[in-house]
Amino acid sequence: MKRPALCSRRHFLHANGFGIGTLALASLLERDGLLAAPVKPELFGQARYDLTPKQPHFNGQAKAMISLFMMGGPSQMDLFDPKPMLTKYHGQKFPGEIKYDNLAQASSKCFGSPWKFAKHGECGMEISELLPNLAKVVDEITLIRSMTSGVNNHAQGLYAMNAGRVTAGRPALGSWLTYGLGSETDELPAYMVLAHPSGLPTFSGEHFTNGWLPALYQGTLVRATEPRILNLDPPPSLAGERQARQLDLLNELNEAHLTLHPGELDLQARIASYELAAKMQTAAKEALDISDEPQHIKTLYGVDNPITKDYATRCIIARRLVERGVRHVQVLNSGQSWDQHSSLITSLPKNCEATDQPSAALIIDLKQRGLLDTTVVHWGGEMGRLPVLQNDAGREKWGRDHNTYGFSMWLAGGGFKKGYVHGETDEFGHKAVIDEVKHYDYHATLLKTFGLDHTKLTYKRNGLAASLTDNQGAKVVDQLLA
Amino acid sequence: MKLVTAAILLSSAAAPAAAPLTFEKDVRPIIKAHCTHCHGEEEKPEGGVDLRLRRFMDKHMEDGSAMLVPGDPGKSGLVQLIKNGEMPKKGKHVPDAELAIIEQWIAQGAKTAKPEPLALAPGSLISEEDREYWAFQPVKRPSVPTDVDPKKVRTPIDAFLLKTMRAQGLDFAPEADRRTLIRRVTLDLTGLLPNPSDVENFVADTSPLAYERLVERLLASKSYGERWARHWLDVVGYADSNGYSEADSERPQAWRYRDYVIRAMNDDKPWDEFIREQIAGDELAAATHTDFQQAVLDPRRTDQLIATAFLRMAPDGTGDTTDDPKLAKNQVIAEELKIVTSSLMGLTVACAQCHDHRYDPIPQVDYYRLRAVFDPAFNWEAWRTPAQRLYSLYTPEERAKAAEIEAQAKLIEADARAMSKKFLDEIFEVEIKKVPEAEQAAFRIARDTPKEKQTPEQQALIKKYPSALATYSLNLYDQKKQDIVDAKMAEAKKLRATKPAEGFVMALTEVKGQVPASKLFNRGDHDQPKQAVTPGELSIIAGPQIEPFKPALLSTGSTGRRLAYAQWLTSGKHPLTARVLVNRFWLNTMGRGIVNTPGDFGRQGELPSHPELLDWLADEFVKSGWKLKSLQRLILLSNAYRQSSVNNASLSSDPENKFYARFKMRRLDAETMRDSILAATGTLVQSSFGPPSGIGRDPEGRVVTGIDKSTITVNKVEAGGANDYRRSIYVQVRRSKPVTVLDTFDAPTMSPNCEMRSQTTVAPQSLLLMNDTFILENARRLADRLQAELPDDRRAQLQKAWQILFSKPAPQAALDRSLSYLEAQTKALTQYHHDIQHAKGDVPNPAQEAMASLCQVLCSSNQFLYVE
Repeated sequence: MKRPALCSRRHFLHANGFGIGTLALASLLERDGLLAAPVKPELFGQARYDLTPKQPHFNGQAKAMISLFMMGGPSQMDLFDPKPMLTKYHGQKFPGEIKYDNLAQASSKCFGSPWKFAKHGECGMEISELLPNLAKVVDEITLIRSMTSGVNNHAQGLYAMNAGRVTAGRPALGSWLTYGLGSETDELPAYMVLAHPSGLPTFSGEHFTNGWLPALYQGTLVRATEPRILNLDPPPSLAGERQARQLDLLNELNEAHLTLHPGELDLQARIASYELAAKMQTAAKEALDISDEPQHIKTLYGVDNPITKDYATRCIIARRLVERGVRHVQVLNSGQSWDQHSSLITSLPKNCEATDQPSAALIIDLKQRGLLDTTVVHWGGEMGRLPVLQNDAGREKWGRDHNTYGFSMWLAGGGFKKGYVHGETDEFGHKAVIDEVKHYDYHATLLKTFGLDHTKLTYKRNGLAASLTDNQGAKVVDQLLA
Repeated sequence: MKLVTAAILLSSAAAPAAAPLTFEKDVRPIIKAHCTHCHGEEEKPEGGVDLRLRRFMDKHMEDGSAMLVPGDPGKSGLVQLIKNGEMPKKGKHVPDAELAIIEQWIAQGAKTAKPEPLALAPGSLISEEDREYWAFQPVKRPSVPTDVDPKKVRTPIDAFLLKTMRAQGLDFAPEADRRTLIRRVTLDLTGLLPNPSDVENFVADTSPLAYERLVERLLASKSYGERWARHWLDVVGYADSNGYSEADSERPQAWRYRDYVIRAMNDDKPWDEFIREQIAGDELAAATHTDFQQAVLDPRRTDQLIATAFLRMAPDGTGDTTDDPKLAKNQVIAEELKIVTSSLMGLTVACAQCHDHRYDPIPQVDYYRLRAVFDPAFNWEAWRTPAQRLYSLYTPEERAKAAEIEAQAKLIEADARAMSKKFLDEIFEVEIKKVPEAEQAAFRIARDTPKEKQTPEQQALIKKYPSALATYSLNLYDQKKQDIVDAKMAEAKKLRATKPAEGFVMALTEVKGQVPASKLFNRGDHDQPKQAVTPGELSIIAGPQIEPFKPALLSTGSTGRRLAYAQWLTSGKHPLTARVLVNRFWLNTMGRGIVNTPGDFGRQGELPSHPELLDWLADEFVKSGWKLKSLQRLILLSNAYRQSSVNNASLSSDPENKFYARFKMRRLDAETMRDSILAATGTLVQSSFGPPSGIGRDPEGRVVTGIDKSTITVNKVEAGGANDYRRSIYVQVRRSKPVTVLDTFDAPTMSPNCEMRSQTTVAPQSLLLMNDTFILENARRLADRLQAELPDDRRAQLQKAWQILFSKPAPQAALDRSLSYLEAQTKALTQYHHDIQHAKGDVPNPAQEAMASLCQVLCSSNQFLYVE
């Protein structure tokens, strides 16, 4: 049985000038500069939102972002922020004042990192032996050692780092980027989220919610195992122009329905989602299939190693998505696997083994494709950890409690400096003491490298102009940018 | 705290001679910042000094000197120790300005603003400000606003809403038309579409009470319980599997609890009783583990026992292989507490498992006091696995009958074995002849010797002539004789099958007399137990005006802790229970909670948009006997519920619909969508109750209803007949295998429960409606149904489809457009079938396929997917 092929995208869209086809074609033509003036997105006084590419406020370097989010709070003094003083005082009483997460239960004994640090790259950045692969690409990254969010809790930390404020229900970073810049692809969701096989991180959907931004800007979750997106194949009898005919009729019915409910953003988003789904049938399948990646790429990421296989595969997929115009990709862990309150000495290396090689490979791979200049890669969690012991019940039980007063994360590409370390914590790695970067400063800077002014990227809500940085006094940290 | 202190400094500096300083307002923040961590908040205050209350400062210090001499700061040890730098031992010095406030306060007589309690539980002190937080105030019935247009008020709810609306310059939208209204209220109350005939009757009903009658009919329908039970099952985290470990083993008895909830909804069981049964049904039924290995009770008591599965809903990996069994046990308790507190108290109490709650006044010790209420039943150190928490539903007669049958079956089996031995012995007599005569006698002895007593020589002999042994494998010697034995064995099996079916109840009970010591766990770590705690309510709720917690007196050997707690929760005095419940009911009808964080009424949650309405509803709910249906009448009959979903002023100024000046459009939830599509195609099987319909993974990776035939390497599901088409509430909830059509449309994964569903709009949903077998099959069935009912009259078929799916007649333009679609699609499908080779006998029907593809479009359209 021969399946009628969906030839090229345009071929499909041209099929007899059907509605959705026509609509999509219009957006393509518009993108290609073939249509003079865009249609005013006003409908009965209500804005109509779409994902066509938007002009940034000024020229930005970055076009896309991949966030390797590490829920739980990775331990900065064991990974990124060497503290010889801490090692010297190991086992002794912490000599300063500590801002405990939970004073009553913490010990005040210093916990020197059990792992060694060494200088790497031309820049001489010090990185822990737990991250041998990252160590090889330090000349590409900006390492911030002075992050703070002011909140020592997973949920609020996540909201702060991912949505700008410690309160729940706000739009995630990826929603803001797609809202501000639209999408470079109309064949894939603008904002995609790659889940871990063991499930979502804690506060699951909050990682990629559109909050009160229109539903159009929410993240699309991609399954952790094959088939990563279900139902990409139309039944043969409805493939091609027959499905296009269906969608055309559907679009007409939905548009007629919308005129009775002007301004209902969810209805609009659903209309758009059919348009997108139609194109995803071919595009997503191709984008999510890494089987045609050459062996040296698979080896680079670690696809053949059972320990790195999952993360490597998802990092390759993330790269493929960005190559195809997806604006924002989140690669998630499960639970809060970096939350080492105890057994840090055994569990932290496991986390690193699974993620270090793929994360570093992503930088190398993006660079060799010329994509790193326009793609921000982010690696970090919602907080860091304390320099003192937690769970002082034998070495195998040692852990560290939460610390939001000075933690580390790194960024690469998309206009961030190369081989640069920003900020310092105190001698023990507890608090940021030099060049503190608050979560909203990071957001303001990130938006800037995308050509967006954080004070201007706003959405009208309850009569106010709401924004990612939300009048918290955010400042762009220009030193972070090349 | 810093901010508070700063503010106090500012205010006292600006007006030193104003009102005298008080402990609560001026001094305690300073003491709390510097002192009480060691002096009061820990299990044992340092040096016996507890500084949390002014009253405690009257105590002399260890050296006998006075801690506080009102009027004389110079003689007060408190001041001197700070001044000479002795205190605080750890941390920052008390700044001079703050010390000055303490001195001034003492000089003024060391006054408190209010009388202090005599004693305090250990832990961080709960401040007046904490106590003043709205959610901890008793529910006070506000008067219904009267300064609103009475013509717009159908029930008191409207008056409350109109009042706030007016301040925003908003007004109710006009009443929705009848078709919209019946579709809305039928979906909301039953989770199913209205029948076209019901729609037409309602439209034609000119009685002024037509709508009221409709509401009553729906509230009385059995579908009502199947819809409203779903809301509660979300909150309690209902699942038919144990979760936690990778095995995610099945929980084959959970459905009895699901049925109990459905019946409770349909019977309008008062929610106070409903809650008491779920928390302490075993104690109400006078059941304990030892007394009632069997759950043979009168129906009411059996029901009460079933209800306690509420406390068994959390993921429980203790029957499966887990890395850390102790942790797994404690996790069950932790998750269960999360469910109890988020469902009935609307507080994130679970945050206090490892440390004092960051935002709400819930000290860690309170968490363990609340846990102590449940400890005797869970008892992690004398744990019972899920299998050990099942109770048989056999009656004594059934049990006796089963025992009798078992005895008979055993006899038959013994017969069969004897028969087999006899056959083998006969064979042996033939086989032994093949052994050389000289060795025959020795072989005989060897054969008769039990294996473990055989000498090496005997074993060698047997090995030498293996086929002569004939002590097993009768079938290899003589299949016919084996068949005779097998037939006998089968008789036993057949007989066993006549035993009465044995059902089990999953329940939570206590073991008579077993009362574990409850302890606070350092950092939430069960390996680090600290001080013992006594059971009780959270301190913030158990204020001084509330009677202290006292277990109910029971003669059964159960501690009565849960019963007492359940009675307190449902006493009508608990500040949260009724508020939290009515808020959920409101959310599930109006599309947005008055507190829009239904599981968190604490400081991290949202404030109520209409606090007075919330209290009025809570009070009304309690006063009218905790009856959900009564409360629903108030909501459903209001103008607020009956208004149109179109109101441009409301949409533009209040898109989130905080002020309820329109009915908020929302998408059908997952179950409603699946059930409605099945009903529209005429395939929905409306049988209620009983074990869940099975699910499995199909070769494409979708989880669908059916019989799971998957192997490790291949996914396969076989059709399960009528079971595949039951309402979604009767479909198995396997935590690790969410049903694709439900999961894609935001049905929750229970880990452990779901406080509020999200409503997403993403491309995978569109892909499902375009390509999934579920929609394709049902679209075909709908087309077939229409063809059967209205043969070959496409126009009439389309009209009917509109009426079934949208409760509306099709507009002329839509009809014409659909007909031209059918024509073109039929032509295209004819061409398609012409182009491909069909198997012999497979006659395509392009016209009917085109109609199916149109039905699919209608089921995918926003007009179907949204409640207006």
